[in-house]
Formats: sequence, C-alpha cells, structure tokens
Amino acid sequence: MELAYLAAGLGAGLVSIGAGIGIGMIGKGAMEGTARQPEASNDIRTSMLISAAFIEGVALFGQVVCIILAFS
Amino acid sequence: MTKVFRITILIILFFTVQSESLLSAAPNDDNTVDVVSKVLDHYYVDFSPVGKVELPRFFYDAEGFHFFGSTTAAINSETFTDEIYLEEDEPEGAKLKPVTYHVVRTDNQPILFDFSITSHLLFFWFSALLTLAIFIPLTRRYKAGQGTKSEPQGAFHNLFETFVVFVRDDIAKPNIGHNYIRFTPYLLTVFFLILFMNLFGLMPWGVSSTADITVTAVLALMTFMITQLSASKDYWKHIFWFPGVPFYIRLILFPVEFIGIFTKPFSLAIRLFANMASGKILIFSILGIIFVFNNLFGSAVAYASSPIWILMTLFVYLIKAFIAFIQAYVFTILSALFIGMAMVEHDEIHETENI
Repeated sequence: MELAYLAAGLGAGLVSIGAGIGIGMIGKGAMEGTARQPEASNDIRTSMLISAAFIEGVALFGQVVCIILAFS
Repeated sequence: MTKVFRITILIILFFTVQSESLLSAAPNDDNTVDVVSKVLDHYYVDFSPVGKVELPRFFYDAEGFHFFGSTTAAINSETFTDEIYLEEDEPEGAKLKPVTYHVVRTDNQPILFDFSITSHLLFFWFSALLTLAIFIPLTRRYKAGQGTKSEPQGAFHNLFETFVVFVRDDIAKPNIGHNYIRFTPYLLTVFFLILFMNLFGLMPWGVSSTADITVTAVLALMTFMITQLSASKDYWKHIFWFPGVPFYIRLILFPVEFIGIFTKPFSLAIRLFANMASGKILIFSILGIIFVFNNLFGSAVAYASSPIWILMTLFVYLIKAFIAFIQAYVFTILSALFIGMAMVEHDEIHETENI
C-alpha cells in the first residue's frame, strides 16, 4: 500500500516531466516560427495551442492512472 | 494533518465520492481543511462563515416520487433518514441534522433514482440562464437590424460581438471548412456555457460545474454525437478499411482508429475536468501550507510566512482566470477540429493514395 503511494508520486512526476518537455518543445518551435515569420503568428498560435492541448490530454491520462494507483 | 493533506491534494472528484472514511473523517477534526470537498458535488451551497443553504431533494422509488425542500426536511420525514441515523438510536422528537447528506430509506428499500438538485447542477443552470439572458436580447437586436444594417451600440453589444466573431472566424471557419455555419451555433453555445461555468468558480462561494466529470462528459458526448452524425463516408472508410496501405497495416490500423473515435471525446472531458478541478485544489493546498507550518513550526512562522502563500494564491487565482478562457477556447477549437476532421471529403486529402 505504501509502495503504491510511492509509485503514484513517481508516476505523477514522470508524467509532468514528459508533458513539460513536450509543451516546452512546442513553445520553442512556435517562438522560432513567429520570430522568423511574424505575419504567421496567429496561425502558429492556434496550432501551438491545439498541439499543447493534445499533449496535455496524454499527460492527464497518466495523472488519472496515478490517482487510481494512489486510491486502489 | 499532513496525511490528510497528502491524501486530499492527490484526489480528484469521482474517485472520492464513495470514499466514506475521508468524507466522514474530515469535518469533525479541528485544524483540518478538507481541500477535496471544495471541488466535490454537494447537496448544499456553502456560504462558509454564514452557513449553508440546502438544496431540494427529489427521489423516485417503488412508492413513487418524493419531494422535499431540503435535506433536513427529508431526513426528518418518516420515510427517509441520514445514513448514520440508521444504526444509532436518536431521541424521539429531536430535530435531526444532516451529517453525511447521504439519504437512505428507513426501511432499507433502495432509492431507485435520486434527482436531487446539487450545487454543480445549480451553477450549471445559472450559467445556462446567463447564456440565454445575454444572447436572446442580442439576437433580438440583430433581428431588428442593429449590428447588421447599423453599428453595434454600447459596451455590452460590442463585447459579445467580438467573442461571437472570434468563435466564428477563428474557431469554426478554419477548422471545419466550407460547411462551418451549420456548427457555429453549437460551438458558440459550448464556448459561452463553459466560459461562464469556469468563471462562476472564481466568484466567492461560487462552484465551477466544469470541475465535475459528469458535466464535462455530457459536453464531450454532445461533440461525439455531432462528430459521428455529420461524418462523411470517407471518415468511416478511414476507420474500417484505411485506403492506400498494405493489407496487414490495415489490420493494425483498424483497432487503432476505432479506439481513436472514443479517446477523442474522452480526452476532451478529462482535460476540462482535470484543469478546472486542479485549479481549486491548488489554491486550497497553497493556503493549507499556512496550517501545515502552524503545526510543524508554531504559529509565529505561520503568521510570518502567510503573506508569501497569500500572494502565491493570488497568482494561482489569476492563472485560473486565464485558464477559464483558455479551456473554453480549447474545448471549442478541439470540437471544431474533430467535426472538421470527420467531414473531410475524399478528394481533399488523397494525393498520396497512388504512391
């Protein structure tokens, strides 16, 4: 039971690392794109938010698994 | 104390509804802030220092419908009682107070349907009424010609025209394509409903209904139904028999694509729910650090450090206000994207088929 808490905590941390790296790379790409082509910034912002939302969705699936682990 | 916190920070709504120990342990201990109960659904609206306003209870069982003005009225009736009063012998004639708010029948017959009004439902209605109250007068104005033939008048009209044009031109049009005007009413409804529900959570004593998995699941189900019902022939062809790839890859792609139908609305529901629930949990957890410090290091440290935590709470609150808009936008744009993806016609995407 105690190990399940440990696993949930570690899992939540790992999921956050993955989502952080993913969203960070999207932000990097979007910023570079906007800097090179400022007139396309609106399109870039929209697709950036959509991609970030998809990554966030995967991360939240992971968090839900961790929560189930902590309370099973 | 710390254990309660470790538990409460991690939990999100629907795993804890059945967790009896947590719900019953929390309110009686001194110095305990029950963080999770702030995002849970209740049969009352909590006006915290002043008191609680109980909401009507409405049951259907084998004897028919039962209606009570409040939980107190329900458990003082002869047919129903609070769960904990079943075992204990209470003095006759005394007025019982609801403790767990989990109402059962005194003769242990099952309650078939519980239609009781809960706080999330109440605030959902508020948001729906607010949406109607804003957009019905606006529609009248446009029908009368103001805004179409002449300029929009006043801050109210201008503000909401900006939002409506934003949803139409920046969300519906680029993502759905040529037939976008059919789905714009749905997208507008979802956008403003979610926005108002999120913003109600920022008000004092307010509850954000979107921090409830059932609300977001129903909204995602609407998107799911619209996506499937407006899907083109090619959408189904791409799921069941992917064109332009070898036979064995088709066998692999079929389950992947088929599961993909359901994961899209599922992730829509989970995303909105988790974002809105976690914001409130975060605020109360940061405020709770003051109480943890009080227990660990004494009251002087708690007093001295409290400005830091209150400023951090303010920061999280502002982030939450931003998230309220972002999540309404993300839900709407992803709905538009899924509808648009399902409506794509054959010749628009198939240059690669003959390679």
